[in-house]
Amino acid sequence: MEFIRKIFKDKFAAAAFVVLALLYLIILFADFLAPYSSTYSNRDLSYAPPSKIYTINENGKPSLPYTYNYVRKYDPYLMQTVFKQDRSKKYFIKPFVKAEKHKILGIIPTHRHLFGVENGGEVHLLGTDINGRDVFSRLLFGGRISMTVGFLALLIVFPIGLLYGGISGYFGGIVDMLMMRFAEAVMAIPSFYLLIILAAILPSGMTSVQRFALIVVILALIGWAGFARVVRGMVLSVKQEDFVQAEKVMGASSLRIILKHILPQTTSYVIIAMTLSVPSYILAESGLSFLGLGIQQPDASWGNMLKEAQEFMNILYRPWLLAPGGLIFIAVLSFNLLGDAVRDILDPKSHG
Amino acid sequence: MGLLRFTAKRILQVIPLLIIVSMISFFIIRLAPIDPLAELRINPSISEETLQKEVKRLKLDKPIAVQYLYWAKSFVQLDLGYTSDGEKVSVKLKERIPNTLLLTLVVIFMTWITGIPLGILAAVKKETALDRLLTVFSSIGMAIPSFFFAILMLMFAVKTGWFPAGGLTSYNYNDMNFIGKICDISRHLVLPVIVLFTISLSGLQRQMRANMLEVLDSDYIKFARAKGLSEWKVIFKHALRNAVNPLITLLGFEFAGLLSGAALTEYVFQYPGLGRLILEAVMKSDINLVMASLMMGTIMLVAGNLIADILLLLTDPRTRKSQEAK
Amino acid sequence: MKRMFGIIVFFILSALVLRCCIRADVPEVTNVKTVTPDINNISYPDDNKNVTLNGVDYIQTQAPVGKFGGELVLSTIGEGPKTFNPCNTKDATSSAMASILYEGLLTTDAKTGKVIPQLAKSYYIDGNDYIITLRKGIKWSDGKPITADDVLYTYEEIVFKGLGNPSITDAMTVDGKLPTLTKVDDYTVKFTTSKPFAPFLRQLSYPVVPKHYFKPYSDKGASEFNAFLNTNTKPETIVSNGPFKLKEYVAAQRVVFERNPNYYKINLNNQQLPYLDKIVYLIVGDTNNGILKFEAKELDVISLNGNTVARYKEREDKSDYTIYNLGASTGTLFVAINLNNRKDKNGHYYVNPVKQKWFRDKNFRKAVERAVDRKNMIQNIAFGVAEPLYTAESPNSIYLNKNIKGYDVDTDKAKKLLENSGFVYKNNKLYDKQGNFVEFDLYTNAGNLEREALGVMVKQDLEELGMKVNFKPIEFNSLVNKLTNTFDWDMVIMGLTGSPLEPHDGKNVWTSKGTLHLFNQGVPKNECFEWEKELDELFEAGALKIDFADRKPVYDRYQEIIYEQNPVIYLYSPAQIYAIRKKFKNVFPSALNGLIYNLDELYIEK
Repeated sequence: MEFIRKIFKDKFAAAAFVVLALLYLIILFADFLAPYSSTYSNRDLSYAPPSKIYTINENGKPSLPYTYNYVRKYDPYLMQTVFKQDRSKKYFIKPFVKAEKHKILGIIPTHRHLFGVENGGEVHLLGTDINGRDVFSRLLFGGRISMTVGFLALLIVFPIGLLYGGISGYFGGIVDMLMMRFAEAVMAIPSFYLLIILAAILPSGMTSVQRFALIVVILALIGWAGFARVVRGMVLSVKQEDFVQAEKVMGASSLRIILKHILPQTTSYVIIAMTLSVPSYILAESGLSFLGLGIQQPDASWGNMLKEAQEFMNILYRPWLLAPGGLIFIAVLSFNLLGDAVRDILDPKSHG
Repeated sequence: MGLLRFTAKRILQVIPLLIIVSMISFFIIRLAPIDPLAELRINPSISEETLQKEVKRLKLDKPIAVQYLYWAKSFVQLDLGYTSDGEKVSVKLKERIPNTLLLTLVVIFMTWITGIPLGILAAVKKETALDRLLTVFSSIGMAIPSFFFAILMLMFAVKTGWFPAGGLTSYNYNDMNFIGKICDISRHLVLPVIVLFTISLSGLQRQMRANMLEVLDSDYIKFARAKGLSEWKVIFKHALRNAVNPLITLLGFEFAGLLSGAALTEYVFQYPGLGRLILEAVMKSDINLVMASLMMGTIMLVAGNLIADILLLLTDPRTRKSQEAK
Repeated sequence: MKRMFGIIVFFILSALVLRCCIRADVPEVTNVKTVTPDINNISYPDDNKNVTLNGVDYIQTQAPVGKFGGELVLSTIGEGPKTFNPCNTKDATSSAMASILYEGLLTTDAKTGKVIPQLAKSYYIDGNDYIITLRKGIKWSDGKPITADDVLYTYEEIVFKGLGNPSITDAMTVDGKLPTLTKVDDYTVKFTTSKPFAPFLRQLSYPVVPKHYFKPYSDKGASEFNAFLNTNTKPETIVSNGPFKLKEYVAAQRVVFERNPNYYKINLNNQQLPYLDKIVYLIVGDTNNGILKFEAKELDVISLNGNTVARYKEREDKSDYTIYNLGASTGTLFVAINLNNRKDKNGHYYVNPVKQKWFRDKNFRKAVERAVDRKNMIQNIAFGVAEPLYTAESPNSIYLNKNIKGYDVDTDKAKKLLENSGFVYKNNKLYDKQGNFVEFDLYTNAGNLEREALGVMVKQDLEELGMKVNFKPIEFNSLVNKLTNTFDWDMVIMGLTGSPLEPHDGKNVWTSKGTLHLFNQGVPKNECFEWEKELDELFEAGALKIDFADRKPVYDRYQEIIYEQNPVIYLYSPAQIYAIRKKFKNVFPSALNGLIYNLDELYIEK
């Protein structure tokens, strides 16, 4: 609690904390908050612009929010597709409408979504993508992947790094030498290229869940060596302390000593590394997606959604597709600001 | 003498490192289900004989271990072999190295002359609005995916017409006079430099701030202040000198990164650098090219660390002692 | 002070939020632009003539006389050329570059698709003999004469020996026999094939190379020859015969060509072509970058697709470029189904036997064909700028079977077809006779927006039929590995480019021995489907007939088989649309050859 209080003393960190908390809440309840599922698609509305939501009706009177459907028209001479509003029917935005079935948190089955329009209407807050899927909804579902990929990668990095570094540092000598040479070799390969090489060797017949898991593993494979070295350094210094020597004399097992005395020393480093390295994993995922090696269609991630946005014509004419870029930016910025604050609090001595 | 032995020892250590790195990367790349001849196979006008010839030439019919030994043998003889398109790897690298060096050196130069003063400024004005502002700005620099930033800059170039849309030289470059050539290259460099500069500035600025804070916190600075020296003098005469040491290590890393290039930025800007070359090679499993660049990267990394260590040894007596103790 | 600041920020923020919430419903006014559609009224110049001046047999273009000077900046997508050796090109960019440098005996008329003389002065066919007369007095770029010896050298020591890229050797082989070549006199040569072989004539467009320049390298064997004329060759040393010669190559940036003063084409005023001083090819990594460079006016010509054409078409009137829509291209997009029923060397099936039963069932494949929604694919993914495709020949092919009309998507019909084959529906899910749920993988190459979006649509279409489709975009090189080596795939979305003039070029895809017989790769003759055997026979028969009228029915039948059997389900062909700066004249776009095949005739109006 003391920790949280300290974070809130720093305004930037507090704002970052709130933003991140909000983002995680949103992706947690994405099924309910999103008006559509991530695969819902309307073929007649490919690349439709965001729905215009009106609160003042055509007579100039305030009204409950409503919107019109878009109708697609193709002009064969100009070779252009245009979207026009069908002003014959208003669709009011209503709370808790019935739509596609889903499960809140994966347990509570319901047809209700936070908001939506009645049957026959379409509301796309951020327009649609090439397949006529709702960008707003996919953004929420995509966040599930983008915002968790980093944490999951860390869940793999830490045990490996702790164990590897712990063993190397504790035993020393030839074991240490060999293990560190190997770690250095891994670190010597430029990480971005290693990332691509590894992503390219993913077995191709995978389901999307497997692919996601393996991308997590790959991201982890990049980070473990550096972490292992830091742990080794810590172990080396802790090893010299009197109380460890004492336990050794008393016949405690190596594993016990590593687990009981050495690992707790690394907690604050772990927390700092966590907040500071999660954003780099988010960026790495988007970089992989840019090259077509990340999370694949039809699954959504902010990285692969952003890939669609980067075409010149899409930036010019369909700026709503840039929304995932904005979210990546916000998420990474928040993590960085929060990470700075956490480091200052937990480890005021070491900067950098 | 100590220095010489130290250097020799470090250089010898490179050899096992190179072997491990080459084995890891070679086997990972070759285990990938990537066919370096894919483009040919999917081309209906390419006959079976052509494919067979290419398979033979690239030794794809041999077991991976044998392929590795072939590669290692020629690498030891300093022969980098041919790319999967049949071009000489050494020539391809030579074409790109000057371009990448140009870009990275400009970026490093720019980052260091702005990052260090900004870092000092932030440290000296710790926890003021200015420090906060710099922190936020540097965080922003770190938060934009580089390729996305690059794309936006490219759009900006096209919309305003102020800068060329990627590349390094205009098509009529060879007809220009010397001044024209320099102007042409500079115009092409502006945008990629801005992108890479923004991204690397924040890191350096933070590093410098942290170093400076640590030094400012130390006893002897407190002592200097207590002596009543002016703040200016304290910072520039005493603090700065000590805050620079960690930067030497950092410089070593920068050296290592000189040739690995910024793949995504180079890719978006169509910059004819190594990063783009390696990226394309990795994507189609062009093994000789990838291996050559990875080996180069490893050697640069070791060399960078070595240079940093030697510099530290020369500048900082404390490190020298600890090195000797080892 | 601080509080004031906070309050102000709060108000600004709330105002912004409110601004987003309030929007008045005012009908939008859109500017309706009426433009009269332009009619494709390009008048092509008359056929080239042979003109002899001072003992030199020039080729005279009948195109309007232009002005000399200036340059044209083009783009090539990808990594740039790998070699300038015209005999060793294996990729499109290298071939394009080599074709500027080197010309062959014959070429294709852009308007009619007929074979016309180029380096040759004339040709005539007498049974299995192809007699070719060469031009007198024409020269290589270094001033040495081009003679029958060069032709003999090119064919006998390079083509027939399989140096460089031996695909041409394969294409010239009839029944395992190469044609013979004899020198009749210094300016006449004669090819003789062992049998009548229709595709042979077009193979004579193979570049003729200078013996005095090439021979020292071809004598040293294959590996020396492959390295010859690599991208590091000094441009000024290259001896060529095309309209332009190489001036400069800068890796990953550009290729520059300059005027070849010895070129043998003249205009109506008997001035030697080409008009342009320079041709520049900028090497751009992807289409997106090409568009940016065109927008920045760094490029003179750009190929547009459905997504990009709308922007430029709308601005065409006020711009400095003209847009040409040349109709459907030779590129095709399709879904292929794996019909492989064999085992690998470890005794495992390449394709799960349960799935084999579905894929090898004609009704199943037909159901897939009837379920794909081509109309919306074209509308959404090709942005309306494409033509639906039902069979293997692209819409601009002269051999297209126009009787194959195709149908719109019809899910009910598709379901009926499945039920005819014993598939059953339980809870709207499709099961086969044995009660296996129909579930399979659909692959395509990742990173290609168009194909990924297509995949999503095909998946949805097939899920309408109650199938479960796992759509898996994977890296291009891995995908090709699956298709041509490991065969462990179910369905794939791919694209290929064919030839609008010579259907025999498709033999690697359609004959059972072909290197790209994707849907049943490596099938032994005795395990072929009946219709595969028929395809083999058709391709053999078609090649042995010479006349178009005789060949047409053969190739009509092959397209029918493909549409009946659907091992490959064709989706659409995108249109080829180009924009070129208005200052360029003598632009005669052709559906067969593209926009600028006549680099030598193009000129700039000042």
